[in-house]
Amino acid sequence: MDLFDSVLIFSVLTLILGLVLGYAGVKFKLKGNPLIDQIDAILPQTQCGQCDYPGCRPYAQAIANGEAQINQCPPGGQEGADALAELLGVETLALNAEHGELKPNHVVFVDETVCIGCTLCIQACPVDAFVGASKVMTQVIIDECTGCDLCIPVCPVDCIHVQEIEPALTTFVPNIAKVSQG
Amino acid sequence: MADYSFNGGIVIKNPYPVSKVEIIQAPLPKKIVLPLQQLGGQAKPCVSVGDYVFTGQVVASTKGSFDVPIHASISGVVLSIDKQVIAHKSGLKSQCITIESDGKDKWLVNKNSGVDFLHYSKQALVEIIQKSGVIGLGGAGFPTHVKMSKVLDCHTLIINGTECEPGVMCDDALMQFHPRDIIRGVEILLHICGAKRAIIAIEDDKQSAYQALSMFNHNDRISINQVPTKYTSGAEKLLIKALLNVEISSGKFAVDEGVICQNIATTKAVFDAVINHKPLVSRIVTVTGDGVKPNNFEVRLGASFKHLISMASPNNKAHDYRMGGMMMGIDVASIDIPIGKTTTAIFVNNQAQKPIVQACIRCGQCSEVCPVGLLPQQLYWYAKSKSIEKALSYNLADCIECACCDYVCPSHIPLANYFSFAKALNKQQTREQDRINTARERFEFREYRLERNKLERAQMMANKKKSLKEKMANEHAQKQKITEAMQRVQQAKDKNDGTNI
Ligand code: SF4
Ligand code: SF4
Ligand code: SF4
Ligand code: SF4
Repeated sequence: MDLFDSVLIFSVLTLILGLVLGYAGVKFKLKGNPLIDQIDAILPQTQCGQCDYPGCRPYAQAIANGEAQINQCPPGGQEGADALAELLGVETLALNAEHGELKPNHVVFVDETVCIGCTLCIQACPVDAFVGASKVMTQVIIDECTGCDLCIPVCPVDCIHVQEIEPALTTFVPNIAKVSQG
Repeated sequence: MADYSFNGGIVIKNPYPVSKVEIIQAPLPKKIVLPLQQLGGQAKPCVSVGDYVFTGQVVASTKGSFDVPIHASISGVVLSIDKQVIAHKSGLKSQCITIESDGKDKWLVNKNSGVDFLHYSKQALVEIIQKSGVIGLGGAGFPTHVKMSKVLDCHTLIINGTECEPGVMCDDALMQFHPRDIIRGVEILLHICGAKRAIIAIEDDKQSAYQALSMFNHNDRISINQVPTKYTSGAEKLLIKALLNVEISSGKFAVDEGVICQNIATTKAVFDAVINHKPLVSRIVTVTGDGVKPNNFEVRLGASFKHLISMASPNNKAHDYRMGGMMMGIDVASIDIPIGKTTTAIFVNNQAQKPIVQACIRCGQCSEVCPVGLLPQQLYWYAKSKSIEKALSYNLADCIECACCDYVCPSHIPLANYFSFAKALNKQQTREQDRINTARERFEFREYRLERNKLERAQMMANKKKSLKEKMANEHAQKQKITEAMQRVQQAKDKNDGTNI
């Protein structure tokens, strides 16, 4: 009797899990469009919205649907536009200056002495790079900030500042032009 | 004698031979500059500008257990803590502590010196080595205590006494003049790692060094082996292969095979740390090249290149400077940079026209000499076109940047430079890709979180509505019941009234 019970329980479990997995498979397939994924892989993931879409993936979707041009992403630079053109097999376009220009690599930081803890920046950040609590203070997790600058305009006391990423000994890459001369 | 040779590599005669190897004490520098950047991160200063420091005093340290503290190498006053140009191929500035000497060289007083090291536990010895600032003095600068504490089951300790580069003779000098300290140092290391034996490897053209060491070696666990004088015999993996016939596969380290390699100068530093309780504040540097009279100098760490070069009677022509070695070293533009723990040599050469780089003629000479058995010609194409993935599939990661391929290339292509560039580029791309992936994940998670919050709120609203409805329905039913009960009472009353009448 016991044996029969466990067999029954496991058969039912397997059935349920199978159904769940099957459903997930179908759902995943619907979501994962390979073209969008490929486009998204080229985009710089700054999530700044300068392309007029609320993030890189939505922009990728728009390109895939033929609704957007390939030259609307300033952080990707001309290289990014060229890479998109190559992927899609179309002529490349010069970066559209209307969407902004390529800024140097940077992150932002909060001036703790000024921050009033309004949490507006937390809501603005597309990658949840802020930690902090209401009415106390907020801080940026440097390693997660993409430098999209979306938090800068929302701060009511202007305490978010840009910090350029300086070349460091540990991240140094020689210039190829110099390398070739020996 | 066994043949400890290996394939590839090249025989290069010392281009700047000396009749007799010496060690000259360099005078105390007026000023020293101590860079704070280490392999594991940047050390934090624990002194301030204006403080007086003693020789051997810790001036900066890191929290982690990987790096070592930084010691003042002279006594004097802290002049500044700021960014200075250091000996690095980038030419970038890095945070440094500058100390001005008071010329007195006052040491921090040491107690309890001269205790027999066998009475210490291994852990205590490893700690002493770390606290004394000992790192690999051969060039890579890997912290010695990390190597020593990492290995679990070490069977062989290899002491690398092969001069890594032609022309460099600081290790040769050390072996000739401090053989006793070296042997004691090896014994200490043996005691720590518990290996059965230690092999000191010396090139077969360094007979005086061999004899000096042999004279002081009375320990039958330590053997001294001579290896052929051939360039890159000092490379760790090649040396292990030659001595033990153990192959360390790509991506693995010597410690994975139960072997520890230490540079010969490091063993002397270990001796000084454990027996003399002296932190590492000086090293022996070879100054050579056709612009000077080649010799070895013992100099305080942080002294400038200029300070040392002036000791080697330079001629008054214009010079090219290179540090480390003629093969694997790097050119430096300024000589106002400080000597560090891994500065083995300074090359001072009369300025000369560099040979013109020409196109690769596919002669294949480079692959013949590559001691690791790579195909430099292929790697070159991929590095040049920045096809890093292709280069990696041709084992770029195994290239030891020895520049043997450069040396023989008839077109004078700076091959090793390209490979070093490709490696740096690969690292940068990996870093970038990691960043991008994190950003994508976090963006997607945020979308998901917002969506979930929306759903949750909707669900909450729906739940509230439902419970409100239920409550209302409940109340309705309650009211119904009350009215019904009232009615029943009324009816009963009416009936009673009727019968009473
Ligand atoms: S413009 Fe900003 S949001 Fe748009 S694709 Fe480029 S990085 Fe992403
Ligand atoms: S912290 Fe500011 S700049 Fe950095 S990712 Fe968030 S919103 Fe963008
Ligand atoms: S040695 Fe130089 S020229 Fe010859 S194949 Fe190698 S890279 Fe080409
Ligand atoms: S630099 Fe690299 S490719 Fe060239 S010989 Fe040395 S190990 Fe081989």
